[in-house]
Amino acid sequence: MVQVAQPQASSYRRPGRVRSRLVRRVPREILLNAVGILVIGTLIFPVYWALCVALQSDPDALIKAPSLFPVHLVLSNFQTALNTEGGNILTSLIISVAVVALGLLVGVPAAYALRRFRVRYTGAVIGSLLVTQMVPSIALSIAFYSLFKDAHLLNSYVGLILADSTYAVPLMVLLLRAFLESLPGELMESARVDGCSELRCLISVVVPVAIPGIVTASLFGFLGAWGDFLFGLTLNSGGKVQPVTLGLFKFVGTYSTSWGPLMATVILAAIPAAIVLSVGQRWIRGGLRAGALKG
Amino acid sequence: MSVRDRGGVRSLDRAGVEGDDPSSVGASTKANRRWPGRGGRERLAPGAVPAPAGARRQRLSRRIIVPGLFIAPVVVYAVVFFAYPLVFGFMMSFEKFGFSQLVHGSGPFFGIGNYRAALSDPVTITAIRNTVIFTVASVSLQVGIGLAVAVLLNRPFLLSNLLRRLVLIPWLIPLLATGTVFTLLFGDQDGFINMLLQHLGLISSPIAWLIDARPAIIAIIIVNIWAGLPFNVIVLYSGLQDIDGIFYEAAVIDGAGPWQRFRKITLPMLRPVMLIVVMLGIIATVKVFDLVIVMTNGGPNNTTQLLSTWAYTQAFTNFNFGEGAAIGNILLVVSAIIAVFYLRSLRKEA
Repeated sequence: MVQVAQPQASSYRRPGRVRSRLVRRVPREILLNAVGILVIGTLIFPVYWALCVALQSDPDALIKAPSLFPVHLVLSNFQTALNTEGGNILTSLIISVAVVALGLLVGVPAAYALRRFRVRYTGAVIGSLLVTQMVPSIALSIAFYSLFKDAHLLNSYVGLILADSTYAVPLMVLLLRAFLESLPGELMESARVDGCSELRCLISVVVPVAIPGIVTASLFGFLGAWGDFLFGLTLNSGGKVQPVTLGLFKFVGTYSTSWGPLMATVILAAIPAAIVLSVGQRWIRGGLRAGALKG
Repeated sequence: MSVRDRGGVRSLDRAGVEGDDPSSVGASTKANRRWPGRGGRERLAPGAVPAPAGARRQRLSRRIIVPGLFIAPVVVYAVVFFAYPLVFGFMMSFEKFGFSQLVHGSGPFFGIGNYRAALSDPVTITAIRNTVIFTVASVSLQVGIGLAVAVLLNRPFLLSNLLRRLVLIPWLIPLLATGTVFTLLFGDQDGFINMLLQHLGLISSPIAWLIDARPAIIAIIIVNIWAGLPFNVIVLYSGLQDIDGIFYEAAVIDGAGPWQRFRKITLPMLRPVMLIVVMLGIIATVKVFDLVIVMTNGGPNNTTQLLSTWAYTQAFTNFNFGEGAAIGNILLVVSAIIAVFYLRSLRKEA
């Protein structure tokens, strides 16, 4: 009976039962925390282990004889990783930011219009955007390879930005629209009544209020583009423009046993996403909630 | 502007629209129901009762041209980056399209030759089976474990706040990097996971995780669950938070135990969210590519190929773009079938 800790339910308890409740609550608290630690451990351990290995001068020794708290930490692997992958990380960063910009440019007006005007094709647009989510990227990349070859877009920033945007743009429109759905219609109406044009209304009234949704959509767009490997692999065609995922993959292929620099690269590849997420975390729950649940 | 004024505007507006443009009645009444005040000040001008030509033109622009301008970019985008490549890939799958055809952008017509070649290749059948197993196992376990963790997070305990933050960590790492880390963990004979399992006495000799087909698929499924858990937990947790506590209170008063409350309140009320999570899970899992490429590269002997990696291998390793495109289209069909099947079974359950 105690499991559901509803404030209303627990505020009205008879004094005599407090003790027995406490007695029952303590083991439950221990159990919950134990399970919690197990879950946290499973989720974090791989990353922690990657970090430990990355900080070893002789990673193989640690791998052969695992220890949860290794000593003699060095940064040399990160140096190696930065030397080989620094440029690729920058490439990934440029591509991801451009993808987010493209997504917002296309997505914000579209989401606003889908929310604001109930035109007959609204459902069709949203439906087809949902369908695009099902399209496997490998099917696109086979077509892109031939099309981009004609357009000289293989091994170029523009080509990868356009290809990676297929992860982001439809998703961003859907998330933005879903977020705008959660805003009251009166908001837009009042601006229109005050004589704003639709564009003014969008920029000066809706966008400021929709920041949580915009941040969430941008975050998803960024993570989608940042994690891309498929387009980087297929549309690179042996060239110099390679995202960090491709760099890491080539690294695995060439030095499959030098785990130190490899794991250092993994950690480096996670850092930008971690920064973006920690900056956006304040907004993301509200944005995701509206976006995912009311979609 | 008071509510009553708006009501007046609405009825006027609707009457005008129904009078002069019967084709847009459905859309406009629906729109007016949503936004009673739309139309703004100019509608109130004297002489607006039989809508003059100017107002009608303004309405036309408001209703068709302006939304069109806002939506056009995304429509153009979808046509250029989804519809056109898909049609192009569809054509490609009916052509003999090898490396030398890349110059022209099209090859000689090959009928259903690519599909026949693909489906008579045992590797394609293995890839279809692997894709189905991989998707069904990943999504069910991901949603199941995700729900368990979300329920755990939904109760207040000392570490729940910390856990809520840390649960996002796997999400930050590109899937390819995740695959790399787990390649190390599953390792050869002396990988961490083998050592742990031996230490716990669960296995007597190390498992060749990434070398034998069956353990390799299991390993890839485990990694995919790990990577997909954060999204599932966050969304399901939000869903749990939206359930009104009053239902549980009522159930407690009626003497329902924790399991009954979960079965009779949590699960039914969470169903819409579950549907979304399952759908998105299928969409994401069917496409998984990075994990297999980095962990097994489809080997040993093509036994761990998924349709995505097999399409890649045919197109970009064997330079048989036609057959690659055909396998890509098969993947599209398989994912649609899995999605329909899954949603049906979920709907029936409820």
